[in-house]
Amino acid sequence: MIMSRPSRQAGEFAVPVGTLILASTCAVIAMPLLAGCTDNTTTDSPAATASTDPRALTVQATDSECKLSATSAPSGTLTFAVTNGGQKVTEFYLYGEDGKRIIGEVENVGPGITRELVLKVEPGSYITACKPGMAGDGLRAPFSVSDSGEE
Amino acid sequence: MLANFLIGLREGLEAALIVSILIAYLVKSDRRHLLPQIWLGVGIAVAISLAFGAALTFGPRGLTFEAQELIGGLLSIIAVGFVTWMIFWMARAARSLSGELRSRIDKAADASRWSLAIVAMLAVGREGLETALFLWAATQTAARNTATTTGPLLGAALGLLVAVVLGYLIYRGALKINLSRFFTWTGAFLIVIAAGVLAYGVHDLQEARFLPGLNNLAFDVSAAIPPTSWYGTLLKGVFNFSPATTVLEAAAWLLYFVPTLSIFLYQKRQRTQAPSRPAPEPVGASGRK
Repeated sequence: MIMSRPSRQAGEFAVPVGTLILASTCAVIAMPLLAGCTDNTTTDSPAATASTDPRALTVQATDSECKLSATSAPSGTLTFAVTNGGQKVTEFYLYGEDGKRIIGEVENVGPGITRELVLKVEPGSYITACKPGMAGDGLRAPFSVSDSGEE
Repeated sequence: MLANFLIGLREGLEAALIVSILIAYLVKSDRRHLLPQIWLGVGIAVAISLAFGAALTFGPRGLTFEAQELIGGLLSIIAVGFVTWMIFWMARAARSLSGELRSRIDKAADASRWSLAIVAMLAVGREGLETALFLWAATQTAARNTATTTGPLLGAALGLLVAVVLGYLIYRGALKINLSRFFTWTGAFLIVIAAGVLAYGVHDLQEARFLPGLNNLAFDVSAAIPPTSWYGTLLKGVFNFSPATTVLEAAAWLLYFVPTLSIFLYQKRQRTQAPSRPAPEPVGASGRK
């Protein structure tokens, strides 16, 4: 016969701890979603094409090229619509002037897919890069943002 | 199509592995009544990810880069806490299987049911938003033209499907191993996975500049293990192995892996020596960031 004295239950603290973390998880998800939302200035509505909105840029990426629709933009919320016309999965980065500090990045741009990088950019000099194959320094080019008075 | 297939596989693999190990455990230890909680967690994560992804893709508002990285990074680190809890919970429940009274085990398991739902939810939801954004982008492409542009969506969907099938095969395999061996191997395996998730979370926070040292690499083996190769995909998908790993990532990996595995193996040895002795409370371990 097995006599077992009362010992600590396996899941004794699991519910309160779990509930607490569930609540904080929700808060963590909600917080940046509220703070981090930004207007979608996409190019998919016919009225606002890339050419009319200087803050909506397109990037044509292939395995060997990284062509932006413009090399400068006014400050504010910029949208880079990155289309991968190559065979390799690519990524698009906006770096600071030093070429190291990541201002923004969009990953998993598979062949044939268009994905958007949306971010607020202050006036200054930047470097754009496509990374076909998801490795290395990428295909880099300078990019400048002028002061439009918008933050 | 192959490239998009590999993205889908990579994004789905880790979640599929964690969930299938969890399900295999519940089935093996005769706790099938807890399975609905797992599916609920998975369902909530998939629904939230797809809904947010759709709202951000098609709606009037997008998500800034920083916000997305912050979500990914923080969810990863919280997920590590819960997977760690799950590892030690399974180990404790395994001990009670052999020695303690059945009713007590069930009571304990019931108390943990919502934590199990959260483990499943975080395992799927951690990368769920990024996967959903990727899938909706592929859907957008497929909707644009008809005949030629469905390839990316098809590839991505097939990749996710293969991840789920691999998870199912692991589940079937796990059912055949004996219980004590199952605990040791899955426990150690999950600790390696969790360490990878932690390193990944650190990298996300480094990219969003909440943590420094993004360009301070510990090693870079991108040439030997290209991220686009099938083995690079598997290493990334299962262990979150990044060919270019920062010093901070490597440090976080080691600082999690070495103590957690040591505690796990130490507890396992204690269990074999003195099965009735209560193990140290591992809630502290699950709270570690």
